[in-house]
Amino acid sequence: MKIKAALYAIGAVTFAAIVSSVLLLSKSNVALSSVVVASIAPSLLLGFIAVASRFLCRVLPIRSTADTQLIAAHGGSAAVASGLWTGAWIASSGALGQAPPDPTPLFVLGLMLYIACVVVQYLVIEVEAAREAEAAALRYQVLAREAELRAFKAQVDPHFLFNSLNAVASLCGTRPNDAREMALRLAEFFRIMLRIGALERITLGEEIDLVTRYLAIEKVRFGDRLRTHISVDDGAASCLVPPLLLQPLVENAVRHGIASVVEGGTIDVNAHLTDGTLRISIDNPADPDRADSHGEGIGLQNAAGRLSAVSDGRARFHAAEDEGRFHVEIELPR
Amino acid sequence: MIRTIIVDDEPPARDILREYLSANDDVEIVAECANGFEAVKAVAEHDPDLLLLDIQMPKLDGFEVLSLLDRSPMVVFVTAHDEYAVRAFEVNALDYLLKPFSEDRLRAVMQKVRQQLLRPRAAAAPLGEALRHKPLQRIVVKGDDGAIQVVPVSRIDYIEAADDAIVIVAGPTKVRKQQAIGDLAAQLDATRFVRIHRSYLLNIDRIDKIEMYAKDSRVAILRDGTKLPVSRSGYATLRELL
Repeated sequence: MKIKAALYAIGAVTFAAIVSSVLLLSKSNVALSSVVVASIAPSLLLGFIAVASRFLCRVLPIRSTADTQLIAAHGGSAAVASGLWTGAWIASSGALGQAPPDPTPLFVLGLMLYIACVVVQYLVIEVEAAREAEAAALRYQVLAREAELRAFKAQVDPHFLFNSLNAVASLCGTRPNDAREMALRLAEFFRIMLRIGALERITLGEEIDLVTRYLAIEKVRFGDRLRTHISVDDGAASCLVPPLLLQPLVENAVRHGIASVVEGGTIDVNAHLTDGTLRISIDNPADPDRADSHGEGIGLQNAAGRLSAVSDGRARFHAAEDEGRFHVEIELPR
Repeated sequence: MIRTIIVDDEPPARDILREYLSANDDVEIVAECANGFEAVKAVAEHDPDLLLLDIQMPKLDGFEVLSLLDRSPMVVFVTAHDEYAVRAFEVNALDYLLKPFSEDRLRAVMQKVRQQLLRPRAAAAPLGEALRHKPLQRIVVKGDDGAIQVVPVSRIDYIEAADDAIVIVAGPTKVRKQQAIGDLAAQLDATRFVRIHRSYLLNIDRIDKIEMYAKDSRVAILRDGTKLPVSRSGYATLRELL
């Protein structure tokens, strides 16, 4: 397709060059047909060179290149192209036994044709870029919608609720006050999650608050096996992020991490704002021999997809497992 | 007395079972375990009548625990997950308690346990390797010294039949297990583990190439250079998959 477009472009430029040069050079004493014949070879040459200027236009994007550089590069190449074209004309006329044409108007005409081509090239590049950007925006929109939908469905593992309620029932017998507190914590957690889940953006501080509440509930179930360390600097806490970005990841860290290790361990959540980039990391122990968990992969995939969708692909998501520790890193440019 | 072992990795989940059971004068809790390893050891030590068994636990899940037991106590699964009920039925579990559960529900379970105990013990069907709906994800092996080894299936290179046992080869690790190679083959993902020979079950991810060895006989060369014989029917299966 690209080759076809290039051939059409060469044809068009060649045709324009033939017509304009014949108009310029036709004299009453020379047959029109012989001027046309002489014009074909140099016009084809100019067509090729003019279309090839696309490479130069690509290398020198109009927005990010200094004007002097643009003028120098294109002016120079125009002079060279036009020089070749004029030379080819003289050679072609000579080969056909005609009188050599006047080089000055030919040279000026070559310059104009070449520069016109460069202008058209830049226009085409701009139009293509605009169309590309539009398509990308649409793609991200669709991705974002899908990710939102999945996130909503997977907001909370129902087994978390069942296990927590089992813990409440258990505490009722032995520590009724703790049971009451656990029930209240559960209610608050769900209320906050439903509220922020409906928002477009929340501060990272709000998300961390939700995560902290979630971990407090899980601590009742897992006891000493679940330890947490959360460190968020003030700059990071005020950053805006999509809601429920960390919650599923921390849930993963508990379900597939802490729950898989006999002695448990520490879930480490860190968030820092440096040089305008929000960096979040979640680190937890995990049994390398645990049965591969289907849900685990899906949770990570969802988070990565969602992050890419809300940041127009500028965010970085990285998950890795190494020597019994699972590590997730997120980088979000502000 | 109904000698009972409680297995659950969450302390509150053990607490509520203990509390509910304390109302039953004929129940004696002989051990409480927080993971699968402890459970296997405790069953060997105490030979209980009843095992109240969680499914999702660190190290070994509830089904893996059962597959490692020499004795077969009555088993009641206690879990928040309802999706294992069919598998529980297949390993002849007596009942399946969904968390959270009421004291009445547990009372009904204990009534069933008592009825079961009145029958001759031999009638209790053997537990152990059950049919699997999903291919095995890891293989658990109990050594002669009682030590338990867990081998994730993704790390297995190949499995070799040796007399009445098999040897599982996973990198430098070799683990011996008392099992027929055909039984294990049936439990593994058939698109990944191929019976290339009467005595060999091969993880096809490990194949580097297959070469002619003699007329009608081939060898599979693994990435680490190991050579294994490939039978004619084994080669046919491989060709279908690769």
